[in-house]
Amino acid sequence: MLLLPPALAEPTNFSIPEKLLFVVLLLVSTAAFWRRFSLVLNKILQSKKDPSFHLFPIGKRVQDFVWEVLCQAKVVRQRPLPGLAHAFVFWAFCAFALVTLNHCATGLGIGFLDPAGRFGRVYYFFAALFALACVASILGLFVRRFIVRPKWLGAKLSYESGLIAFLIFVLMTTYLASFLVTPTDPSARVLWWLHTLALLTFLPLIPHTKHLHLILSPVTVFLSRGSFSRIPPLSGDEDFGLVSGTDLTRVATLQAYSCVECGRCTEHCPAANTGKLLNPKEIILGLRGYLNEYGPASPEPLLGQYNSQQAVFQCTTCGACEFQCPVGIEHLPLLIGLRRGAVNTGSWEDDHGSKLFLALERGSNALGISPAERDKFIEKQALPLFDGTQEYCLWLGCMGGYDPKGREIVAAFARVMDYLGTSYGVLRKEKCTGDPVRRLGNDLLFQQLAEANLEILAQNKVEKIVSICPHCVRTIQEDWKEYGTPPEVEHHSEFLARFADKLPKQVSEERIVYHDPCYLGRYRNVYEQPRAVVAHSGQLVEPPRSAERSFCCGAGGGLAFLGEESGQRISHNRAEELIATGAQKIAAACPFCNTMLRDALAATGDGAPQLLDIAQLTARNLPIAGSS
Amino acid sequence: MKIVVAIKQVLERDAQVRIDTAGTWIDESGYQYEMNEPDAYALEEALQLREAQGGEVIVVSAGPERVGTTIREALAKGADRAIHILCDDFGARDALGVARLLAAAIQPENPALILTGLQSEDLGYGQTGVILAELLGLPHASLILHVEITGTGLKVKRELEEGWFQFVELPTPAVLTIQSGGNKLRYATLMGIKRAKSKETRLVAAAELATDSIPVVRLEQVSLPRKQKSTQILTGTPQEATAALVEKLKFEVRVL
Repeated sequence: MLLLPPALAEPTNFSIPEKLLFVVLLLVSTAAFWRRFSLVLNKILQSKKDPSFHLFPIGKRVQDFVWEVLCQAKVVRQRPLPGLAHAFVFWAFCAFALVTLNHCATGLGIGFLDPAGRFGRVYYFFAALFALACVASILGLFVRRFIVRPKWLGAKLSYESGLIAFLIFVLMTTYLASFLVTPTDPSARVLWWLHTLALLTFLPLIPHTKHLHLILSPVTVFLSRGSFSRIPPLSGDEDFGLVSGTDLTRVATLQAYSCVECGRCTEHCPAANTGKLLNPKEIILGLRGYLNEYGPASPEPLLGQYNSQQAVFQCTTCGACEFQCPVGIEHLPLLIGLRRGAVNTGSWEDDHGSKLFLALERGSNALGISPAERDKFIEKQALPLFDGTQEYCLWLGCMGGYDPKGREIVAAFARVMDYLGTSYGVLRKEKCTGDPVRRLGNDLLFQQLAEANLEILAQNKVEKIVSICPHCVRTIQEDWKEYGTPPEVEHHSEFLARFADKLPKQVSEERIVYHDPCYLGRYRNVYEQPRAVVAHSGQLVEPPRSAERSFCCGAGGGLAFLGEESGQRISHNRAEELIATGAQKIAAACPFCNTMLRDALAATGDGAPQLLDIAQLTARNLPIAGSS
Repeated sequence: MKIVVAIKQVLERDAQVRIDTAGTWIDESGYQYEMNEPDAYALEEALQLREAQGGEVIVVSAGPERVGTTIREALAKGADRAIHILCDDFGARDALGVARLLAAAIQPENPALILTGLQSEDLGYGQTGVILAELLGLPHASLILHVEITGTGLKVKRELEEGWFQFVELPTPAVLTIQSGGNKLRYATLMGIKRAKSKETRLVAAAELATDSIPVVRLEQVSLPRKQKSTQILTGTPQEATAALVEKLKFEVRVL
């Protein structure tokens, strides 16, 4: 005989008063849920529509939804143990949708899933397996939150989380216990009522607590802005970024209410990790606090009571927060949006910031150096000028054209291209791509720089750009799109990896640790190419925080130009980590990372590993000119 | 307080200039232009005075149509309205000719204070503001770093040589020429540019101002600085060579 799984004991024959009591409780619970939830829903719907939001193409949305929500991929991948525990709770909830529906129907005498029937027996058993996993998971999560207490969850214990965990525990155990009794047993009824009470207590708690993410975050993930750090274009003459509540779009408000307060953003934030005021989680909760008090139609400034301007301008735009967020919050458009609001209206006053803006209003580069110096460098290195016949335009950027170490990287990369016989040229005239002012929120200046550069490129008939700077690459490819059609652009790591077969290798025993630049990794998804280049010169070593979890050097978001940081320097924090790997060399792939790490290494004294760009590593392997 | 700021548009700072075929002016095609820096400081001083005292800031600029971009920049930074004196022969006018145009445009406004940069970055005469005061019959002070409004008039801080400052009081109306560096310049904002669209710029043809434009100074020739390298090897004993070197440094190079 086939071994049947045990059947769930489902009480029957509810009396009229019992049914009435259930109906009343169900109505009270639903009403308490709706009262709060409709409030949130209204705040979202009252926010302005995002004119740049397009639902299509829908394929990527469905894909992200399946991968991030249904598979819980991000939740698990970035924090494996608690992530898996969360995933089991989530999957149990999914499995319980049918169980709960039938549970309520039973209370009204219209149950539709017979526990003794073929489907019912199998399904209930299936749900029971998830219930078991869920009980184990929720106990684990409870231990983590109340005993292990990782600092990302905040210093204050969340008793509501404890209550929710208890309710989930009761829901699952009452369900499991129902397999151990018979339907006629009075305890079956007690279990049913306990399950019901837990359920009806849980429901109104959802919109009143961070468990609102149960409902909102699947929607948030589905309705993302479409790509990483996508900064929406300003619309109309009165849009200056996020100035007041009236500037918050539906997507922004939805995201503010989706936050589950897990603190992954803060855990990976370079500012929060080095004692600065900025805490990305608090930025989102600040927006939520603002919305709760003032609502989306308020002219009250967004920066002030709930979020501070100082914190917003401490962001390096490394994007670790946005990358990590499991509920689909896009921090960068919000943080940069708040900066735009402050800069575009002139309310941000910062000596270093003004100096940078004025240097770019009047001059051509972020370093404020005369372009004649760039000309001299081109002449001294005998770099060919771009005349429209060459395949590549070698974009120097501010660092490559003016910074002494940046110039060394350009010179090394030019040697590699010469060796390969690639035809390339540099432009006579170039302006800053506008990366630092874009991230600092100066839309006027960014537009001027983007348009001027697009015109220069069009005049020179440039079709392909290669650059040593991931910031230039990102800005040219993505941010300039708002003002025209930029040429094809790639980072030199991609170029070097493509021609790896044609370049000499000298794999030494030397240990080389690779530092992922934020704008190459998280922004461009280029992780393998630079590693392949490093592996041609020595033994590749990974620092503890690497690839998509890489830790910023501190230069991004225009911060390289904003003077002294408060707290520990981000670059020092990172340099210590790189030194601790024991590697003899540090390989970088961004001139900004290079300059930040160089200063940090100098501060550590003698014996620090040598810092080189991947282009310099490659150039070292080339035969010395004339001796081949 | 009604303040007029006279502003000049000059060639962008890092431009590689070319001399025109006649050899008397630069070839103006294909360059970008910007606000003369001391004038930018004059504007900043005016805006700060208005922010503290209230009133109106009017910018006046003379030159061809391209000057409009610099006027818009001034409006975007906060000036209330502008007067553009249209003239295509701006390069041919000397300081007196320019000051006459400015004086004629400013006079009907009857301002309490007229500010301008102490000199231009292109010609560097340092005369226009001073002549303007003379033409308007107003008191003036030059090389001003800071302006303070007192009950009776103005108290200004002048920059002297070797780090010395002089404080001078003078009545209003007055003309001041402003030195760079007294304030921190503000950056142009998107909101400023958008607001500037609705601000008034009055166009006045130079001829309408009915001033004599015949220059009293004529440009003979302009030329780029010539690069020259001359190396001399001093011979003789070390003592003789040193003596010769000191001689040359003193009387030829004049650095000792």
